[in-house]
Amino acid sequence: MTTSAAPSRLQLFLGMQQVALSSFGGGLSAWSERIVVEDRHWMSKEEFITGLTVARLFPGPNQINMAVYIGSRFHGLSGALVALLGILLLPFSVLLVLGLSYYYLHETLAVDRVLAGVITASAGMALSMGFKIAGAYTRDPVALLLAGVSFIAMSVFHVRLVPLVLVAGPLAMAWYWPRGERR
Amino acid sequence: MSAAAATATAAAQACQAVHLSDWRNLLAVIWDFLSLSLFSLGGGNTLLNEYHHMAVDQYCWLSSRQFADIYAIAEAAPGPSSMIVGLLGMGAAVKEGPAWALLSAVVAEVSILLPSTLLMVVAALSWNRLRNSPWRVAFERGLGPITLGILFSVGLKILRISDHDTPAYAVSLVVCVLMLRTKISPLWFMAVAGAMGALGIVNR
Repeated sequence: MTTSAAPSRLQLFLGMQQVALSSFGGGLSAWSERIVVEDRHWMSKEEFITGLTVARLFPGPNQINMAVYIGSRFHGLSGALVALLGILLLPFSVLLVLGLSYYYLHETLAVDRVLAGVITASAGMALSMGFKIAGAYTRDPVALLLAGVSFIAMSVFHVRLVPLVLVAGPLAMAWYWPRGERR
Repeated sequence: MSAAAATATAAAQACQAVHLSDWRNLLAVIWDFLSLSLFSLGGGNTLLNEYHHMAVDQYCWLSSRQFADIYAIAEAAPGPSSMIVGLLGMGAAVKEGPAWALLSAVVAEVSILLPSTLLMVVAALSWNRLRNSPWRVAFERGLGPITLGILFSVGLKILRISDHDTPAYAVSLVVCVLMLRTKISPLWFMAVAGAMGALGIVNR
């Protein structure tokens, strides 16, 4: 697949805004690929997949990192900020309206009753996050030990995330440091 | 005294929400979000326990119940669910009026995104050198299992603050299984569960 000329900053902003708009209702990543790779030919599919890998590896929300990746590939820091603004502007505005409505109306009985139901679903969604990635680690006892220790440290002993990562992170990295054919 | 008991004692004492219109409080909050940003492993959901700790135990912006509500709203709203930080910022300042609430929401969101965005720009521009670095390999393999443990801890926390009776736990477990086994949009689960709440089938 050929890629067309690099998009301007305005095109980046509008493209990311289209991604945000299309994905109202879900599937941000799929929409991002369709618009960036298939419709606008800004990147090849391979480049896009590399971007997703980087976006998942580094800290920050994956889809936002992906927008930053796309923007910075074409225009560095300014491209990244323009892409970020494009992908966030509409959803964040909607969120602000929802948030204000919530804070001013949540004591209303009807709103409270509906939310009492909705939170049971979102709790189920939160619970599924761990199971979703657990499959990748079931054959590695050290990984399961690390996961177990992290879970117990946080849930039982209330260790905060930053000290946990600062202590367990380097230990885990030392264990998994690539050593030729050993692993 | 265990950390749990300390938290309970702290909550029992008058938990005074700080005023963000005092710029020193505002700076402290901005600093908290800035410094959490680079620890948002696994797409940011790993930070939910920290957000709960900040908003409910440390600064007393929200009750646990409100935290469960805004988590649901952030999940239901379009866009990345990590925008919950905007709602936290809003909750922190909502008593000081809507203008402060909006400003605080934007400031909180910018603070949580800025460091990770700057790092991502560097990563995007230097990926070809990073790709084969042993640091990259060790980071990816080593931090993955830790992220897994934290995500389970986060799931349990959200479950505990959201559900208080058997029907509620049952709905959550069913949703969890359906999330893993089907590709149904989560919005449907929220709509159905919301209707169950309205009808009084599940309660807080």
